[in-house]
Amino acid sequence: MTHNRPIVESLQEYGRGLAGGLLFSLPLLYTMEVWFTGFIAAPWRLLVYLAATFALLLGYNNYAGIRHDSDWTDVVVDSFEELGLGLVTATGLLMLLGRLDASQSWREIIGKIVVEAGIVAVGFSVGTAQLGTGENEQEGRGSETAASVSSQAVIALCGAVLFAVNIAPTEEVKVIALEVGPTRLMLIMALSAALGLMILYFSSFARSEKFSKMESKSQAFTGGVITYGIALMSSAAMLWFFGRFDGCSVELAVAQIVVLGLPATLGASAGRLLLQS
Amino acid sequence: MKGEKNVVEWGVFVASLVLIGTTLAILLLDAFRGESKPTDIRVQLGGPIQRAEGWAVPVTIRNEGDETGENVHVEVALQRDKRDVEVAQVTIDFLPRKSEREAWALFRENPDSGKVVARAIGFERP
Repeated sequence: MTHNRPIVESLQEYGRGLAGGLLFSLPLLYTMEVWFTGFIAAPWRLLVYLAATFALLLGYNNYAGIRHDSDWTDVVVDSFEELGLGLVTATGLLMLLGRLDASQSWREIIGKIVVEAGIVAVGFSVGTAQLGTGENEQEGRGSETAASVSSQAVIALCGAVLFAVNIAPTEEVKVIALEVGPTRLMLIMALSAALGLMILYFSSFARSEKFSKMESKSQAFTGGVITYGIALMSSAAMLWFFGRFDGCSVELAVAQIVVLGLPATLGASAGRLLLQS
Repeated sequence: MKGEKNVVEWGVFVASLVLIGTTLAILLLDAFRGESKPTDIRVQLGGPIQRAEGWAVPVTIRNEGDETGENVHVEVALQRDKRDVEVAQVTIDFLPRKSEREAWALFRENPDSGKVVARAIGFERP
């Protein structure tokens, strides 16, 4: 038997989504480099960003979304809703903060909204799923797929993006990458990998037993390598989107990836555990 | 027992589809127009306004190109007999493509006593 969900329940869900969206995106809404990316980035780069955001929403909603009884149609519908709400929220806040006005071209306005909306949308998805009391909702889909490597990889990617995206657009990443030498870069890599391993397999973080259970040392090693790999990959993607590779050497690009890889690893490990119930 | 979407949720979904579709259409049109005209800065001046310590001339700086200009420097000069007698400078952090910014050039002398000319003197590619 099916029934329509009560409207109050839907509004509560949107409220949680809004809180989550703001929680994760407010730092970016207040960051100049992100506004600038909105009008510096070419339209095709914004299209790639929108597509990547939608793919991330599909992944998160599928593996850790709010309803475990949902099928792929529900996942797609929820993802469209979150992206749409992200666009509306980003527009409203950018207007409130005086970042959009009539003297700007529509290209500038659309660019700023799209860049901010992506992360608001992912925050919406996480907020809807994780900020509820659990009284009204079924257990998340993550419970079914706890052991799945692909599900954990997708959620690790969400965690890495949500945590490191606040740092990726800043000039500081490039400054650090320029100033630290190869020895310190290797130390940063070692620290990142060690932190990932410690969080997932050693420090008994909440839910680590469920989502990163260690059955052997080689399994922990593999899990750590995958987590760090995801952190580096997501760092590279974020830096590329924010134009941090434009006109820089391969060495500097790699150094920036390693520097951003540290917060991304925290997101992919500790963040991953926080993002799923 | 599976809960079906209610009218509010369907409303949000349809509105989201329209919004996303519109955004995609705009970006796709922009991407496939294939224009890549370099930064092209045009400067337009308004009439001077007297202030407590001189005169202010409104300056509208527009980028007709398809690339953003960074640190756009504009020089506004008061000329008499084709010679600069006073020069003001305006700097804009970012001038996005097909956008304009407004600024003011300040002079000690009355701009109506000569001819005011403006020119972009440099910018960076971000």
